[in-house]
Amino acid sequence: MENINFGIDLGTTNSGIGKFQSGKIQLYKNPVGFKDTLPSVVAYRNERILIGDKARELAILQPGNVFSSFKRKMGSEHHYEVKALKENKTAVDFSALILRELLSFVGDEKPTSAVITIPASFDTIQSNATKLAGHQAGLTEVVLLQEPIAACLAYANTQNIDLDDTKIWLVYDFGGGTFDVALVKIDHRELKVIDHEGNNFLGGLDIDHLIVEHLICPILEKQLDVSQLWKSMVSAENAPHYKMFVELLYKAEEAKKELSLKEKAFIELDLDERLIEIELNRTQLNELIHKKVEETIRLTQHLLEKNNIEHEEIERIILVGGTTYIPYIKERLFASFGSVIDSSIDPTTAIIVGASYYAGTKMKLLKSASVPENEAIKRTDVKLVYEINSQDSEELLTALVANDFSGYYRIIRTDGGFDTGMTPFHSRFNEFLKLIPKSINFFGVKIFDQTQQLIFEKDNLSINHGIYNISGQPLPNDICLELDDNLGTTYLERIFRKNDILPLSKKIYKTISKTILKGSGEKLIINIVEGKAETSPASNLCIGYLEIDAADLDANLLKGSDLEIDFEISESRDLKVGLYISAIDLEINEVFNASTRQVSLDKLRTELEQSLQNIEYEIEIFGHHERFDIVDLLDEIRIEVIELLKILIDLEDDVVTDKIYNVDERKRKAFQQFDQLVRKKNLVGEIEEYQALKIEIKEELFLKPNARLEQVFNNLVKKEQQFLNSDQISVIKSKTKELQKIAHELYYQNDEAYVNLFYQYACKDLAEYSNEGQAKNLITKGEHAIAAGSYPEVKAIISSMYNLLKVKPKDYFEDKNGTLGLR
Amino acid sequence: MKDIITQIFEIEHKIKKEDQSVFKRNFQRIYHELELNGYIVINPVGQRYDERDVSIEANILNDLKASLMITKVLKPIIYKEEDGKRVLIQKAVVIVE
Repeated sequence: MENINFGIDLGTTNSGIGKFQSGKIQLYKNPVGFKDTLPSVVAYRNERILIGDKARELAILQPGNVFSSFKRKMGSEHHYEVKALKENKTAVDFSALILRELLSFVGDEKPTSAVITIPASFDTIQSNATKLAGHQAGLTEVVLLQEPIAACLAYANTQNIDLDDTKIWLVYDFGGGTFDVALVKIDHRELKVIDHEGNNFLGGLDIDHLIVEHLICPILEKQLDVSQLWKSMVSAENAPHYKMFVELLYKAEEAKKELSLKEKAFIELDLDERLIEIELNRTQLNELIHKKVEETIRLTQHLLEKNNIEHEEIERIILVGGTTYIPYIKERLFASFGSVIDSSIDPTTAIIVGASYYAGTKMKLLKSASVPENEAIKRTDVKLVYEINSQDSEELLTALVANDFSGYYRIIRTDGGFDTGMTPFHSRFNEFLKLIPKSINFFGVKIFDQTQQLIFEKDNLSINHGIYNISGQPLPNDICLELDDNLGTTYLERIFRKNDILPLSKKIYKTISKTILKGSGEKLIINIVEGKAETSPASNLCIGYLEIDAADLDANLLKGSDLEIDFEISESRDLKVGLYISAIDLEINEVFNASTRQVSLDKLRTELEQSLQNIEYEIEIFGHHERFDIVDLLDEIRIEVIELLKILIDLEDDVVTDKIYNVDERKRKAFQQFDQLVRKKNLVGEIEEYQALKIEIKEELFLKPNARLEQVFNNLVKKEQQFLNSDQISVIKSKTKELQKIAHELYYQNDEAYVNLFYQYACKDLAEYSNEGQAKNLITKGEHAIAAGSYPEVKAIISSMYNLLKVKPKDYFEDKNGTLGLR
Repeated sequence: MKDIITQIFEIEHKIKKEDQSVFKRNFQRIYHELELNGYIVINPVGQRYDERDVSIEANILNDLKASLMITKVLKPIIYKEEDGKRVLIQKAVVIVE
């Protein structure tokens, strides 16, 4: 037989659901807003049935259609008139809606049995009404449990408290709107509520009101030079002050929570462009709530007296309800009763936890019938019509259900930010779905029959916002920005992707990769190209080129400063670039027209010269592998590059002809051919080198574990899919360099590594040291230290030798300065 | 993290109108960096009140007007995106009138 496992707290103010699973309790979060609890409020607005937070906020707007605290009327003849429906409803109907909503939090598993908690004060009729609500919500079996018992179970189970002895616990439940106190007798694992007391109109909200009225209003009256502020706030006729009241109430609640943790809290108010700061301290709060707390203590005292129970007989007072977070309450309870005050678990979810523990021990009496709605969910005569791509803030969804169907629908955005509520419809419905800009929005669509049984479900209906535009022109190539890497070369970063739809705009942030001193002749280069992001920068077409000369700078531009770049491409393909360097407050805006080509003679020459070295290197490599077919092709490119460099010399004084564009065109063609010949080989080679080094480090870490290096290594490897698939040789190369750095550090974990390093220094020409005699002396000492196995001494000697060196060796791992100036 | 974002939002709105342009870039940068870390921050001020928008906790002042608008935002909406899944981590607290 199966256990019930599901526990529900059907509270006056808030409700929640949990499940007993492998000895622990899982609290189900509300998929709308992801809170552990659901406000027990039902509202009817625009034909929709809203439950929870959204229903609660409508209370002021449409009081005739919003229903809360109906638990107090459970089992009574009371009928609520729902103006929007022109129908009457009972507390059982509303409770059933709350329960059904809670059950929907569970997900795929549809609970058929549950434990539902009831106040200790509930009589048989009220208890039966709760059961009826459970059945209306679709539960076949409902087991009731008194709230104080649930609280005791929660505390006992989470702390493994032995319940075998006879003892008395006091459950002090101070919630948002109500106060209850109950005496629970524990006798050999049997828990029984002896008696209870309470006040249905005493809760945390009253404290918030007190803070506003007595702590905030007097200060504001002085500051704003007004009187009777509290009265003018709570009289609905005075709207401006009512707005202030709403804001103050929110701030008061925040301050109350803060004062539970700290001695002081600040309230800041922005009133008519005036910033008013109010300091509150815990003593003020304690004095303020003193009367309310004393009232709860009097009720507790009365409860003990009428049951002839002495303070000493109370083994522990357990706390339930959010208001019990306030430290003063714990202090007063301890001072008054001297018992252990147990606040070890979250008081806002204690009842759910207790109910779930109980459900975990309670066997299902009724066999769960096979759920017919699973069959019904297979219903296929539902047609959903919507646009997959949208530029609007809302997108229309139309649903058509065949056969003259009448029922309800509900659509929830899976990020928890949108919920239509249960909405009735006949045959078809139209709903505008609210979209989060520039992202993919997923929705879940559910259709229910008239008894609110699920008959159709569509998960993950997706609508893209702003990612695609159907009407604009697509970009024919990637648009990229040339950037320095940390190896001394450059690569392309994609700003806009091929087939992105115009117009486009984007803001990016970069850093300055080399220090540019005023008047140093250095330049900061912004080169925007069109082509393929994964190819070499020079093989692409330059569409925007900006040089910022050191001579034009008002201040030195330091390496590491931030740079902000805005890109905009219009439908007519004009490129607008905005550049801002906050460190020197430099702002430059430039528009590049698509019909004007941007070519810099200097840059062209540098690119050609650098490529010549690369081509010659590749000729050597391919020659070594006897790939003479490729060597011949590379040689042709080499000759073309030399030819172009010759033409450039002639072009230096040419400002009239457009020969430079012709050179640029030929250069790009040559570079593209070069890329085609060598890129794939180099890319594969780079990935192989990365992988080999990775395996080497893994083995080394296995043999000689080092927690710090392992973390650095894992962080790097975690993102490898991203950079290994980037097709960017430069990016993979810089990651391989990071691996080399780890390998280097691992190597120097071994003392023997310093022996090798010592001999590297010892083999240097003595003339390289500033003091040859001292160097000689250090070498002799070092040899002795190695013979004696004194590695710390070897390390110290190496350090001294390093200091003696006239020219210090360069750190291979140091980031190379860039050529462009931005990274 | 959501508390830090709310503080940033508060600081941003505490700045006097005439000084706002001085800090504009800094706030843009902060929100950009937050977005790179998966945090999407939305200020719903000026939006029409929509009872289906459960990303806001509205304090509604009156029902005299046909169209209710969000006039003040005490806390912004915050979504967190992780592994391609976006989740609401903070509801906005707003005043609607």
